[in-house]
Amino acid sequence: MMLEVKHLMKSYGKRQIVKDVSFTINKGESFGLLGPNGAGKSTLISTICGLISYDQGEVYVNNQSIKKFPLVIKQKIGIVPQEIALYPTMSAKDNLMFWGKMYGLKGAKASKRVNEVLEFVDLKDRAKDRIETFSGGMKRRINIGAALMHEPEILIMDEPTVGIDPQSRNHILETVKKLNESGKTIIYTSHYMEEVEYLCDRIGIIDNGEVIALGTQKELCNRLAGGSVVHLDVENKTEQGIDSINEIKNVKHIVSKQNETKLEIYVNEAHETMGEIVTTAVNHGIKVLAVEVQEPNLESLFLQLTGRTLRD
Amino acid sequence: MKFFTIAFKDLKVRLSDKKGFISLLLMPIILTAILGSALSGMFADTVSMPHTELGIVLHDQNEITDQFVEEVLQGDILSESITLKKFSSQSDLKIDIENQTVDLGLVIPKGWGEGLQNGEEKDVMVFTDPSKQLQSSIVESITMSFIDRIASISTATQVFSQELAMIAPVTDQEINVREIVGDVSNQLVAVADSEMNVVTAEEDGKTPISGMQYYAAAMGAMFVLFNATIGAKSIIQERNIETLARLMSSPVRLNSIIIGKFLGTFYVSFLQFSVFILATHYLLGVGWGSNLFQTLVIGLSYCIAVSGIAMIIAGLIVEEKTADTVGGIGVQIFALLGGSMIPIGAFPEKLQLVANIAPNKWFLDSLLEVMNGTTWGALVLPITVLLLIGVASLMIGSLRLRVR
Ligand SMILES: Nc1ncnc2c1ncn2[C@@H]1O[C@H](COP(=O)(O)OP(=O)(O)OP(=O)(O)O)[C@@H](O)[C@H]1O
Ligand SMILES: [Mg+2]
Repeated sequence: MMLEVKHLMKSYGKRQIVKDVSFTINKGESFGLLGPNGAGKSTLISTICGLISYDQGEVYVNNQSIKKFPLVIKQKIGIVPQEIALYPTMSAKDNLMFWGKMYGLKGAKASKRVNEVLEFVDLKDRAKDRIETFSGGMKRRINIGAALMHEPEILIMDEPTVGIDPQSRNHILETVKKLNESGKTIIYTSHYMEEVEYLCDRIGIIDNGEVIALGTQKELCNRLAGGSVVHLDVENKTEQGIDSINEIKNVKHIVSKQNETKLEIYVNEAHETMGEIVTTAVNHGIKVLAVEVQEPNLESLFLQLTGRTLRD
Repeated sequence: MKFFTIAFKDLKVRLSDKKGFISLLLMPIILTAILGSALSGMFADTVSMPHTELGIVLHDQNEITDQFVEEVLQGDILSESITLKKFSSQSDLKIDIENQTVDLGLVIPKGWGEGLQNGEEKDVMVFTDPSKQLQSSIVESITMSFIDRIASISTATQVFSQELAMIAPVTDQEINVREIVGDVSNQLVAVADSEMNVVTAEEDGKTPISGMQYYAAAMGAMFVLFNATIGAKSIIQERNIETLARLMSSPVRLNSIIIGKFLGTFYVSFLQFSVFILATHYLLGVGWGSNLFQTLVIGLSYCIAVSGIAMIIAGLIVEEKTADTVGGIGVQIFALLGGSMIPIGAFPEKLQLVANIAPNKWFLDSLLEVMNGTTWGALVLPITVLLLIGVASLMIGSLRLRVR
């Protein structure tokens, strides 16, 4: 077991920010923490990496408590903060060198690592430029690079793709994928469902400081009752027709707003049931103009669990 | 020894802001040059002059004019040799000169004082009886030198602040240069108006300190003090851009981070101090005394005090802007209190006592002592005080920072 979080609690004043959070992460695994703004992701991560103290519970890395061995454990973790925590007037190279030294790298080894990391984040040609002259995406890449200098066993990334263009985002996602494939244990927080789905073996969904669902993507989606949604564009909606559709096996719930030509039908096994839905509609004089099936995803799970969407 | 790395990084960050750093180096040097030459030895070579009845017609009402009359003509040095008699018109004055009841007359034109401040000179008329040539030329030269002083300071500070505003656009790293220059120049004009610039000659027969020497030490003290604000801001900034959080999640002890930041301010201060000593010596010929080692030790102690104060400010203040304001005002108050604007001997006694809280006062005093030649024994007190200020404020500051 690489990392173990047990009944972790953290509050600021009277506000509980992290509420009894427990999970474990295995070596080489990539773990996603998915949650909306203000869910407590950054706070949770900060307690795990020993930046802020926690009120109750325990965090173990390789069976060592972070409270007892903070320096040993900090050495094993590489943290990519949500903010660009770099010195803007220093060059990329100097920044990497500085952070390397903070993790105990020295001399030739440090210089070698600087070059390797610059190569890895694909910014070798900008090594001597000041960070402040970099684009948002490039800054993010150096921000990640700084956490890689000391070749940590665990890499914790706090929304590393926030506020950047799709191209840089893809570059970063590929980078993370590569790191995980090379054996690094990764904790990745995001409020982008697609990123977490793409990168992570296991996912924890966090809301209001609580982990409300935990498991592989498949496990999570299977938990969804009526996970798929069939969207119908129709004319001549009738009460009777809608009632009949509702009676079909597998159909869980229908959303039909007045004065709208759309029907949202929540079903299990969407593809098997779709034909019956359309036939039933047509038999009741409803004209079906278009059909679209939305497979279950984490977004719909989050919606179901909280009644809200991940992003507004 | 990660704190050395942190401190060295701070020096690097500071030096990466070339314009800001250079302007902070240049400013005290230029100000020393202006003040030292404009204000030094103004009355030092006043020859003793026979008693003079001086008639004066004032067409002008202005602070500067008042200063000239009250504090130059009627100041301590000249009041014994000059009796002033005011006339309401030029013709009245002329009659008295012809009757020889007045030795010589001055007519100050309207707008004279204000003109001086704005860099335009208006002629002062001097009337004299041919037999009073000596007195006449002395008064003329006193007047001329007053005019020069005011004019050179106001033009120089104007040009200077414009220049600085150009070369040092106010980056967020920087203290507000334009504002400081503005404030400083205001104070300088005030200094120039006063008679305090007569730098005290030592009574005990040692060589008196020249104006240039005095202001070199004074400006050095003041500008090194700015590092207290700059150092504090560097910590506040690291808190804001979250490099501090990153440092704290790396395997570096909190103590190392705190000492590193302290040392960073110290490096920058000491570099500034050293460059200043060298530059004023080689460019302006300032004599820093015969014992360079003493100067160095005092400089070290002062820089330690300043770096400690930076930690207190950083511990107490959250916002960069607040640090700017508090720091700017603080430095000015301390500079004034510590004798960087006006020699402290001119203060009332109580204020002189209060001045002991200003580290720059101890620094300035000891620099002046060294210039004069002094023993190590005499420096023990100021060095101890400076070191205590440094260590105590480092401890208080780091306690505060720890709580955060
Ligand atoms: N130092 C603090 N003092 C008080 N409250 C805090 C502090 N830090 C965070 N919070 C609060 O804790 C809650 C969780 O914040 P956190 O930054 O952990 O959320 P997050 O999930 O990372 O959000 P985001 O996606 O926006 O980064 C927020 O309501 C925030 O206001
Ligand atoms: Mg966050």
